[in-house]
Order: sequence, then C-alpha cells, then structure tokens
Amino acid sequence: MESKIRRKGYPYILPALLFIIFVFFVPVAYTVVMSFLRWNLLRPDLGVRSAGFSNYVRLFTDVFTLETIGRTFYFVIGSVLVELVAGFIVALALDTEFKGWKIVQSILLTPFMIAPVVVGFVWRFILNSDYGPVIHFFKQIGLGAFVADPLLSNPHAVIPVLILTDAWEYTPFVVLVLLAGLKAIPQEPFEAAIVDGASLWKRFRYITLPLLKPSILVVIVIRTLTSLRVFDIVFIMTGGGPGTSSETLAFYGYRTAFQSYNIGFSSAINMLTFGIAIGFTLFYMKIVGGGKNAE
Amino acid sequence: MKKTWIVFLLLTLTVFLFATELRLSSEVGIHTDAWKTRMAGFTAEKGVQVGIQQFPYANYLDQLMLGYTSGRVDIDVPYISLLWYPALATAGYIYPISDIPGYEALNEKDIPGIRNSKLNGKTYVIPYMNELGGIIYRKDLFDDPTEKANFLKAYGYELQPPVTLEQYRDVAEFFHRPPELYGVTLMGRRSIFLATHFMQRLWANGGALLDINMRPIFNSEAGMKALEDVAFMFNFANPAARNYDFQEALNEFISGRSAMAEVWTTGMFYVNDANRSKIVGKGSFTGFPRPENRLGEKLPMLYISWGFSVSQAAPDKKAALEWLVYVTETKNEVEAAPTGNIPARFSALNSPDLLSVYPWIGDFSKAMENCIPTPIVPLIPEGSSIVGAIIAPAVSEFLAGTKTAEKALNDAVKEVDRLMRENFYY
Repeated sequence: MESKIRRKGYPYILPALLFIIFVFFVPVAYTVVMSFLRWNLLRPDLGVRSAGFSNYVRLFTDVFTLETIGRTFYFVIGSVLVELVAGFIVALALDTEFKGWKIVQSILLTPFMIAPVVVGFVWRFILNSDYGPVIHFFKQIGLGAFVADPLLSNPHAVIPVLILTDAWEYTPFVVLVLLAGLKAIPQEPFEAAIVDGASLWKRFRYITLPLLKPSILVVIVIRTLTSLRVFDIVFIMTGGGPGTSSETLAFYGYRTAFQSYNIGFSSAINMLTFGIAIGFTLFYMKIVGGGKNAE
Repeated sequence: MKKTWIVFLLLTLTVFLFATELRLSSEVGIHTDAWKTRMAGFTAEKGVQVGIQQFPYANYLDQLMLGYTSGRVDIDVPYISLLWYPALATAGYIYPISDIPGYEALNEKDIPGIRNSKLNGKTYVIPYMNELGGIIYRKDLFDDPTEKANFLKAYGYELQPPVTLEQYRDVAEFFHRPPELYGVTLMGRRSIFLATHFMQRLWANGGALLDINMRPIFNSEAGMKALEDVAFMFNFANPAARNYDFQEALNEFISGRSAMAEVWTTGMFYVNDANRSKIVGKGSFTGFPRPENRLGEKLPMLYISWGFSVSQAAPDKKAALEWLVYVTETKNEVEAAPTGNIPARFSALNSPDLLSVYPWIGDFSKAMENCIPTPIVPLIPEGSSIVGAIIAPAVSEFLAGTKTAEKALNDAVKEVDRLMRENFYY
C-alpha cells in the first residue's frame, strides 16, 4: 500500500528531478568524460583521443598543481576566517535596534551587491602604488616602507590582499546570515543567565555561540564553496601573477582551458576542485550531524 | 509623386530582399573603427550589405573558437590577429583566400608582412593593420638643448632615441626622475604584453624560441641575458608598472610621466589624441634597439598585424573577396587611416597624404625596412599558448623573484617540450 502511494508520488517530483539531472548531473558527467580525453581545441586535426588516467596522473604528480592547491587552501581558509571574525563583530554590533538601523544595514550590504569584476577593478585602483588612496594613506602616516613594493606585484602580499578584497565583498553576506541567526535567539536564556550573574563573556560563550552554531556553519559552508572557485578578482587584479603567486585552482583551470585550449586537462583540474568542494561539504555535514547527535 | 514613392519603396524592398549580407566580426579597437568607416561605401558601391559583431579583445578569440568548434559560427569574414590564423587554418575553420577566384586583385606584393600570412603556400589572412614593437618617446625631451647638454656631460655622447640596448639603458637612467618623470614605461603584469619585453631582447641577442625541429631553445645564454635585461629596465620604471597592461602603460606615457614607453606603433595614435593626451605632437617612434655589436644587422623585431580572413562556412566567398579588395585598396586604407590605423600596404604607407597626417610614419617605415618583422608567437597552432601561458608566467616568476632566470626558463622549456611532444611535433 505504502509503495503504491510512493509510486503515485513519483510524477510529482519528476520535473524537479529532470531539472536537477540536466542542470547538475549532465554537466558533471560531461566534465568527467572530458577529463579522460586528450582534446586540444587548437588541434582538431589530432582528434579527440582517450587519455586514460594520464590527465589525473599529471595532475597529482605535478608540483605546480600541488602548489596551486596550497595557494587555494591559503586563500579559502584566510578569506573564510577573516569574513567570519569581521562578520561576527559587525553582526553583534548591529544586533541592537537604533535610529537609522535599516540605513546602516543597507549601506553595509553595498559591497555584496557589486559584481566581483567591478570589485576587482575598484581594488586594483585603490591599491595602485602610484595614485591609489590606500598607498597614499600609508605614506601619509609614515608607514610608506610597508608598501614600498607595490602590493599587487609582491608575491608575499598578493594573497593576503586578495583575501582582504574578498572579505570586503563578502563580509556583508556573513553579517546578514549571522544577524538573522542572532535575531532568532530567544531572550529567555539571557535573562536567566543575567539573574544567575553570568558575565557578558560567559553569556556570549555559553548562550550566543552555541545557539548561533547552525548559522555559522551555513556561512562557513557557503563561503568555503564560493571561495574555492574564486576567479574574477584574481583575473582582474593580478592575472594570476606576479609569477604564479595568485594562481588558484579555478584560475589554473581557466588558463589551461582558454590559453592552452587543453580541454581534457582543464576538466581534470575542475574535477579536482569539485572533489575538494565535496570533501569540504562532507566534512562540514559531519560536524553539523555531530552537533545534532550531541543535542 | 505617389508613383515615385511606390517605385522607390519597391526598389528598396527588392534590394533588401536580394542583397547579400556579409557578416564581419572583430574586436573593439581603433583599427576596427578605421575600416568600419568603409562599410557604407562598400554597400553603396557593390550592393552588398555588411553587418558586424564586435567583442572585447580579451574574449574575442574564445568566442570565435567556441563558435567554430560548436559549428554555430555565423561569421563570414572574421578580422583577426595574425597570431590566431595558424590554429584556425589548421582546424579548417578558415578558408584559403588565395583559392578564391579573382584573388590576384589583392596585389599581395604591396603588403610587406604577407609572408607571415601563408600556411603551406596558401594565404589565409590579408593584413589590414601592421605595426612594430619599439619605443615611443618624448621628442620634446630628446630635443631639449639643456637635456642634450646634461646627457652629453654625463654619458659622453649625444642624446638621441636609443639605437642600441646600451643607449636604451643610459637614456632610461638619465630621464628617471621619480615621481615626476620615469625613465621608461613597461608592462609588468603577467600577460602576453610582458612576454613582448622578453621576446624583443631574446631576438636582439640572437636567440630564438624554437629551433628548426620545433624544440624549445630559449633557455640559452641569449634568453638569460634577455630576462635579466627586462628586470634591469624595471629599475627605471614606475614601481606600479609591475602590474601594468598595455592600456595602463599608455596612460602613463600620454599623461607625460615617462620619457619612453616600450610598446608598439599604435601608441602614437594615443599620443596625438587631444582628448586624452597631454603630450600631443611631442611623441615619436623608433624601432627596438639591438646590442652594439649587432648594429646594422637585420634582426627580428616584434611584428603585430591584424587582417581579414574568410570562414570556411561563408556561403558567398566571392562577396567576401570583394570586401577584402575594397577595404584594402590603397585609397581606402589611406582615407581610413586617420581614424586609427597604420596601413598594411607599402603604397598607403608611402602616400604623401598619409605622411602629412602622420609625420612619424617615416620613422616607422624606416624601422620596418631595417628589421625582419616577426610575430611574437611562432606561427603554429600552439604559438599563443607557448607565449601567453608559458613564457609570460616564466618572465613574471623571475621578475617577482620567485625563481632564478635559469630555473624560470628551464621550467618553461620543459613545459613547451611537453606540449610539443603531446602534439606529435617530435
């Protein structure tokens, strides 16, 4: 009886299922297939040949790929951390209603509404060592020596700069999610804690933080996945340079596909990025699951 | 009166219904703007409608490749960089223009860089614009008597646009007075522009990218020298130039902030554009210098050219050829040039009308005669990948100090070697 009811339900989920299949599974399957091919768009005369596992062998034995994975992790961890800390501070500051609260909130959201390409151009201008206001400010306050070497052409500074740019754009998103979480926390536990004489830190540590955990995890998951495919700001601000200092996995995939036109190897790089994203998601889901079990 | 109108409308309708439409494509740029001024005249003279699709340079090739690969291309005459045609021709996406009946009307003997447009003896591109990599410089500074006297005192010889690499370094050092004036403007951003600085010096020092068997040989002594010289010249450039592309480099030069800019001839159009330049009429062009011991030799020099090709799938190749003949005829090249083009025909370059508009064109012609115009990338399908995706990052690695010259070039050679092996060159 139950299975009959289930069967009757299938047609209702069919449109959604077809949508998921065509929008998600087909492109992924296509990329998987291409990653096992030797296919260079510049040389159609050579045809599309099977590459076996050679694209993956190259991927995992190539020092450059490992370095690129390292740089990508550096960027992802750095940007998620900075955005989380900054977002937390701003969200806590905004968790009180005051006159003009909505205006402040709208202004804070502005960077998030700007296209990443524009963000890249704006920050490239701001950080220009010749006329950029940031450099000018550093020079004015006597810290010119720190920026004597232009930030975007300094291999040691370029990833931190990209992290800060990314944080400028996405911290408002983090604020928005955390603020929604803060608003949803009931007041009763705080009142009880105050009666018990709990300090501000203890109230934060033992009430706010645990109750905000689902929102924090949502933020971490979404920002990790989006940071993994960072491309626009890298492309605009540094072009992957200086040298290869800001080349992330997504940029490497782009360079292989659209400068070398090596579709097979580029697909393998994209599958690696996809695998890392899946890995991160499973890891976070495990944490979320662990949290639920504990409750 | 009413009858006349009806006849006119019917005629217009007939022309509209039966006129051929030729679909052109191009990047967004000033030489495209130049030949676009000829489109209306062509339609009026030949009765062929002309439409154009334009793309930003950064993704024009991607759009073409994806369109051709997927079979969805709806372009008859793509206006392309000379660097792209080997890939498009090898793939069979573009048609040999020399196979179209009536091709002789193009008179290719009048086009200096035409040898670069041929693959297996067939012509695939008709150059419309051509230019050389070299130095645009501040003529007013070089002619200034005080500067001349000071230079003579400091270096012991006359100040002049650099002819040798040694002079180039001296002049850059002499004019380097930051932050008001920089000795030279360079393009340090990791891109094909940065690779031009390396390639010019590699050729000037007698080096080459590939040998006759297509094996990479640029990790030679000439390659090391070239790389070190690029880095040395950045000492006389604005620190911000380490992240400059072509446009940013030009902006610095035309705002009067540097004495020289190592770019290419097109830069002169920007110098003389009163709407953006602060140095109108104060610039000139000279070809890229060479080492003192190679003076007088005809050496390769960066040659940039854009021209018209014809799609394999173009339904009316005769109409395509008619456009090519029309747009590249001397009179039309000369008339269109002031919009922003350096014509590809000798007859147009030597036209007195053009010389009166561009006094510097004489220096350009002289540089052209004294060099072997050489495209920045080898004219094989992999050429752009080698220079854009392998050489440029290698040069950038060395400039950033993340690799030594030797390691940067050796790693790049290994990468090129792998690519050539994968594609069965050896």
